[in-house]
Amino acid sequence: MLLKLTLNSLYARLLTVGMTVFAISLSLMLYMSVEKLRTSAYTSFTDTISQTDLIVGARTSSVQLLLYSVFRIGNATNNITWESYEDVIDRKEVAWSVPISLGDSHKGFRVMGTNNEFFKRYKFRGGQSIELEKGNNLDDLYDVIIGAGVAEKLNYSVETPLIVSHGLQSFSDHDDQPFRVSGILAKTGTPVDNTVIVSLEAIEAIHVDWSTGAKIPGQLTPVEEIRQMDLSPKNITAALIGVNSKLQIFQLQRWINEYPEESLSSILPGVALQELWRIVGVVENLLLGISVTVIFTTLIGMTAIIFSSLNERRREMAIWRAMGASPKVVIGLLMLEAFIISVMSIIVSTVMLFLTLYVLQPWIDNTYGILVNIETLAVKDIYIFMLFILSASLVSLIPAIRAYWFSINDGMTIKI
Amino acid sequence: MKYIIYILLSFNLMTFTISAEETRQVDKHEHGVGELNIAVEGSTIEFEFMIPGADIVGFEYVAKSDEDIAKINQALKTFDDYTNIFTLPSNSLCELNGQKVALKEEDEHDDHDEHDEHDDHDEHDEHDDHDEHAEENHNEFYAKYSFECGNINAIKEVNFPYFATFTNSGELEVQFISNMGSTSFEVEGDEPLINTDGKI
Repeated sequence: MLLKLTLNSLYARLLTVGMTVFAISLSLMLYMSVEKLRTSAYTSFTDTISQTDLIVGARTSSVQLLLYSVFRIGNATNNITWESYEDVIDRKEVAWSVPISLGDSHKGFRVMGTNNEFFKRYKFRGGQSIELEKGNNLDDLYDVIIGAGVAEKLNYSVETPLIVSHGLQSFSDHDDQPFRVSGILAKTGTPVDNTVIVSLEAIEAIHVDWSTGAKIPGQLTPVEEIRQMDLSPKNITAALIGVNSKLQIFQLQRWINEYPEESLSSILPGVALQELWRIVGVVENLLLGISVTVIFTTLIGMTAIIFSSLNERRREMAIWRAMGASPKVVIGLLMLEAFIISVMSIIVSTVMLFLTLYVLQPWIDNTYGILVNIETLAVKDIYIFMLFILSASLVSLIPAIRAYWFSINDGMTIKI
Repeated sequence: MKYIIYILLSFNLMTFTISAEETRQVDKHEHGVGELNIAVEGSTIEFEFMIPGADIVGFEYVAKSDEDIAKINQALKTFDDYTNIFTLPSNSLCELNGQKVALKEEDEHDDHDEHDEHDDHDEHDEHDDHDEHAEENHNEFYAKYSFECGNINAIKEVNFPYFATFTNSGELEVQFISNMGSTSFEVEGDEPLINTDGKI
């Protein structure tokens, strides 16, 4: 009876109530999308590398080493010599290692020199391996394997020829030594998708006629001659390392960090990621703070709307009283109204959120490499919903008590 | 003329290589920040603490007076019982099966006499530059504990009475690794525990 009355009363004020519901839904959606993006970004980041125990590079901050070696963001301050790398992998703790050499690019995509071990050892999303979708491994010196993103954006297929550029944003190309696509990787949702992978020897080969960052004028070694040369790498940018036992990892880490012949750094990927997240966390908290404030504002807005309707509804209240409704019922009516508004807002906001995410998901994935999970609501969201309903009902007590007061004072004759 | 330049250049390179051989590097050392490494493999869990002397006994010079020596010995004794430093949930059925407690002093070589149980490689490169740093020395408490656990997955949190035991202590920076991956924690006295649920 009471519910029916309230629903009808709300329906009678469809426009104002509708606007209120929409405003609250928008703010709830804002909060939820910030939360969704935050958690999705975190999982995407943490899912990018797994089962690699240590990353070794030149002495630098752990976050920077992680960013350039795994996420291809920013640049290495220094490379490390092959001798040091060999010293490290000769340690008894080391089970496997993958050397990585960065620094060149192809049409804005980073070129990474490595060996076929990379495809076996690099794992993401809790241990998934990268797989070749088409073509073969790096067999020839001038073979490249491209990530799914590169293939899609540049419309490349197996056998497409390509030229590697020197540096990341330069106009000088290694056009004397063309490569060919030998394989295309399946989509991983990690930075590997946007990477052009060549062998370490190929990195050496394309720099045969280069010295201190510039092409030696007039020098052009024929490709046949380069193929005969000793192209064993002289330096690398970083190395991914797996240990035999987790118990030995800190011992190895300390040994690398104190390695006397060259300044090296070794990091645990998860530790560096946490460190990065503590920095990003400040912005995250700011965003959360903003969306919580927005929710708070709409709660106040809702109260204000109920308040302003009170004067119009004093006659309505008087009729209820005349029909025998006690002042408590009047309070109940208004609280029920707030309850219904907040529940409707939650439903509308959830529907809007999922629709928006559904539409935006491919774009977010392509642009930022963040895979937003749109399947479920987090348990935390449900708690927030309950908290919201509770606080909406509580806040509506203020106009409700006022209405109660009116109804006692007015009785059946309204003196406005 | 050209040859002279070459000779001079090669000399230059030689001196460069000679100076490059004696690399100078100093370990980081921050008062108020202790380091803790936790590694889990199978049913074994290991804790390795490296804590600046200032956080434990309040000073870092080489203990000479009886009072200071007593303080150091007292602190080492405190480390001998790991429950003064951290505690594991009892239902994880962990039993201590190896422990090593030592004071590492940068300009003394006596740290190998401490209760070594197994031979680690961590302390050999420590003392390169003691000549230059004779008056500016730092000491560090090192403690390593190894446990075998009947039910290692029951370690859902680790508590640190450490902060109550040593009143000078600052924060602990924790590096943690298990088969689930690596992560880190920062622990402080106002919330002296880490939550390892789902990480082992």
